[in-house]
Amino acid sequence: MKHLQLPKSLKVRIGLAGLGMFILLTIIGPWIAPYDPNYTGFAQNASPSWNHLLGTTIQGQDVLSQLLIGCRSTMVVSFIAGFLATIISIVIGVASGYVGGKADEGLSVLSNVFLAIPGLPLLIVLNSYLPAGQQTNPLVIGSVIALTGWAWGARVLRAQTLSLRDRDFVEAARIIGEKRVRIMFGEIGPNLLPILTSSLLFTILYAVGVYTTLAFLGLTNVSTWNWGTMLYWAQSNNAGLAGEWWWVGPPGIMIALIGTSLALINFGIDEFINPRLRAGGVSAKLRRASGAPRRPRLGLTPVLHKSTEAGSR
Amino acid sequence: MKLLLRRLGLYLITAWVAITANFLLPRLMPGNPIEQLIAKLQGRVTPQMIRAIKLQFGQGLNQPLIVQYGHYMSGLFHGQLGESITLSQPVSQVLGGEIWWTIGLIGTAAVLSFLIGTTLGVIFGWRRGSRLDAVIPGATFLQSLPYYFLGTLLIMFFAAKMHWFPIEGAYDTGAQTPGWNWGYILSVLRYSQLPIISIVLSSLAGWMLGMRNMMVTTISEDFVLMAVAKGLPRRKVMWHAARNAVLPSVANLALTIGFLVSGSLLVEQVFNYPGVGNLLVNAVGNEDYPLLQGIFLLVTFTVLGANFLADALYYLLDPRTRVSGQSQ
Amino acid sequence: MTDKTILEVQNFDVDYGYGDAAVRAVSDVSFTLGASKVLGVAGESGSGKSTLVYGLTRLLREPGVIVGGEVKFHLDGEGEFDILSASEEEIRKIRWSHISIVLQSALSALNPLRRIGREFDEVLRVHDANLSKEQRRERSEELLALVGLRPDRLRRFPHELSGGQRQRIMIAMALALRPELVIMDEPTTALDVVTQREIVSELAELRRQLGFAMIFITHDLSLLVELADDIMVMYAGQIVERAPAKELHDAPRHPYTLGLMNSFPPLHGERTELEGIPGSPPDLKALPTGCPFSPRCAFAMDKCRQERPPLVLEAGTEHSVACWLHGSSYQGAVPVELSKRLAKNSEGAQ
Repeated sequence: MKHLQLPKSLKVRIGLAGLGMFILLTIIGPWIAPYDPNYTGFAQNASPSWNHLLGTTIQGQDVLSQLLIGCRSTMVVSFIAGFLATIISIVIGVASGYVGGKADEGLSVLSNVFLAIPGLPLLIVLNSYLPAGQQTNPLVIGSVIALTGWAWGARVLRAQTLSLRDRDFVEAARIIGEKRVRIMFGEIGPNLLPILTSSLLFTILYAVGVYTTLAFLGLTNVSTWNWGTMLYWAQSNNAGLAGEWWWVGPPGIMIALIGTSLALINFGIDEFINPRLRAGGVSAKLRRASGAPRRPRLGLTPVLHKSTEAGSR
Repeated sequence: MKLLLRRLGLYLITAWVAITANFLLPRLMPGNPIEQLIAKLQGRVTPQMIRAIKLQFGQGLNQPLIVQYGHYMSGLFHGQLGESITLSQPVSQVLGGEIWWTIGLIGTAAVLSFLIGTTLGVIFGWRRGSRLDAVIPGATFLQSLPYYFLGTLLIMFFAAKMHWFPIEGAYDTGAQTPGWNWGYILSVLRYSQLPIISIVLSSLAGWMLGMRNMMVTTISEDFVLMAVAKGLPRRKVMWHAARNAVLPSVANLALTIGFLVSGSLLVEQVFNYPGVGNLLVNAVGNEDYPLLQGIFLLVTFTVLGANFLADALYYLLDPRTRVSGQSQ
Repeated sequence: MTDKTILEVQNFDVDYGYGDAAVRAVSDVSFTLGASKVLGVAGESGSGKSTLVYGLTRLLREPGVIVGGEVKFHLDGEGEFDILSASEEEIRKIRWSHISIVLQSALSALNPLRRIGREFDEVLRVHDANLSKEQRRERSEELLALVGLRPDRLRRFPHELSGGQRQRIMIAMALALRPELVIMDEPTTALDVVTQREIVSELAELRRQLGFAMIFITHDLSLLVELADDIMVMYAGQIVERAPAKELHDAPRHPYTLGLMNSFPPLHGERTELEGIPGSPPDLKALPTGCPFSPRCAFAMDKCRQERPPLVLEAGTEHSVACWLHGSSYQGAVPVELSKRLAKNSEGAQ
């Protein structure tokens, strides 16, 4: 597998850097937070100052601390949900694609059913049925989110497994007599890695969105800090109307940033899988330098008359 | 045709699963939420209501599950979704009132977003390699903004500060009375602008990026080269490529309708707009289970219906699906 | 059929990539094509034959770049047409009406979402606005009849037809505007052997009827022997041999041509042992010094590895070859396989 070196695409590097930063914050966030996020003794509605880099809320809480602490909850639940959902989708998708037959039909119907049922309403309903004590447990919430989000990945993995199944190297393994499970993990598995990673990232993205949305709607425990909860409090106190951008802005931007990072990485994976999306293998700089028109035009192959140096190799 | 029928069958199965889940969940949940609910409601609601709830959830009836299920299903076929606890009306009535707001808002926004997004995607894909490519990171960021955040920002800036749009609501409640009068209609249109803009902005980038990728892939196919070789004008070549490239987006339309329905919840929260989403959130807060279930079923059926329509559309557009035994 | 030349190519060079990353894919190719003549271009994958031809018509995709040479067409009613300096609009006008192409796989070359009839209708309409819908329809049916297909095929989608039918449709479409030149890029490679032969003989017949010139690209030399007037063999982007078809077949000069010929069994005739060409196709990014074929050549000498042989016309013939085994500077004995003479021409060795 070739992509063990650092990928060349700028997009992917930025994405990875972003992701790395978020993971870092998840780990050290609570340590570097300047204050207790729940403490309400500060000046209320204060705009950013040296003491409070992101200002305070209407109840006099420090926004920055909430942001940093909130990072952990948001990320942990999203990652749990993402991994759980991906595991489910691997089991169902790959097995279904590889085994085929009746099992495949049944599992496909199952995936399509879950895919068709709208995620957020289902999540809301399931969440409301949870006993109150369990609602703050990240593992429980993560599982519930995973239950609503595995179907897309399963479908993608199934399609990919199907296309790989009939390829020569798999056929060869089968002829040699390798056991089914070994083939699934040993031969097909590694080739699924790019699309698996993409699916995982997508699902984490989905989990971030859906978890913060749930929090925004006030449906999770509003005393656990995460970015969605912050927006919930901001919304309930009409921070937007009051123009308190330091309260409304940061959590939303954080969500957008982690989302963008994940999406950028996904672009990179996309280009890796589908070479046509890559920048034609030609760097724009070289094009410009040689005098060719900046944009390739189909049906008008560029003509450059340069004194030949590549003539006789 | 066969393919389409299979899809229909699938959707029917899904609907059945949803209904049955709706039926089973409250009965299976640990801690017996129904008992708790009833205990909570004693003294707050009429005894008839309590009986209705018990009936709906099968409490106090010592009938086997199957019989209860039978009652439930037959009730459904008669359009009975139960009674809302908080609003003391049949759920179907409650829903019927609010659903048009949601459809109007979401429907318009979805269509606009799809059209604008795919058109932009065609242009960006066709002109790949030009300066337009710089838009992509920005579009990605736009796409990642959580919807409610974007909505709040828009309100904060364009409504509260610049006063270009009203801040919230569906129409001017002070000045207009609902009905078929111009004042009301215009007011509704005016108040719907910012919500629609916010939905379109937040979902636009997704369509654009997907369409662009598909355009780039399609252009590398031989038939596009052929079109150029045939001496067709560039516009025509682009059109041919676009027509082929849009197919996956249409397929995705089915999925995104589901997301948009979820999104309506947020729109209504942020803009204080009437609709099904608000009902759902309030129902959860008030533990109005009958209403909750009714909404969930309604939403599910709508999404399934929309999915089916999108499938039918795809079937019409791509002739390769119409040959039996041939996969694309 | 006149004796006029319709295509002149001089020192044509094509690169893939720009600047330091550029790879020469077509190197110093020159040839002329007469009206109604058939030029076969043969070689392995990567020999540059497709690149050459797409480059000539400026249909070469990114990252292809034309970096040298001249390409002039002489078309009816257009006079001399320098495609390398023409504007996009000028090129568009001569496309299909004077020069058309047939691709290797009709399945990918035809728009899967459109019926065949619409494709014909469109190409006719774009180039001649005066035709009525009825006239276009008639013409389409005429064209289908030319290749032996029933008119009802117009209503089909590409995936509903067999490979052979699709290929015939491609050919019919290529002839729609009565072009002077039709370029065929391995039009039969994706078909079974029997259909291949059928189509090739149909092509020969069509050419007799309609008088268009053809450039026929293939890696199967045996197809060209009956169809082509001249054959050009390419290797690593260079022409290594060119001769009238029969002469090339009966008396090949270049070791690569010999290898190519021995790689394809004839359908008829005696069964001979099949030999491939040892080694693998050249890496254009790292061509050896000297003759590019030398690593795989059974007759390679030291000189071959040091200096690249020029393409030299054998005196008194129309046969050119780029090989140190031939030509005045070579004193040794030419291997028997490469020195056969045509039965009529018996002027002794060298």
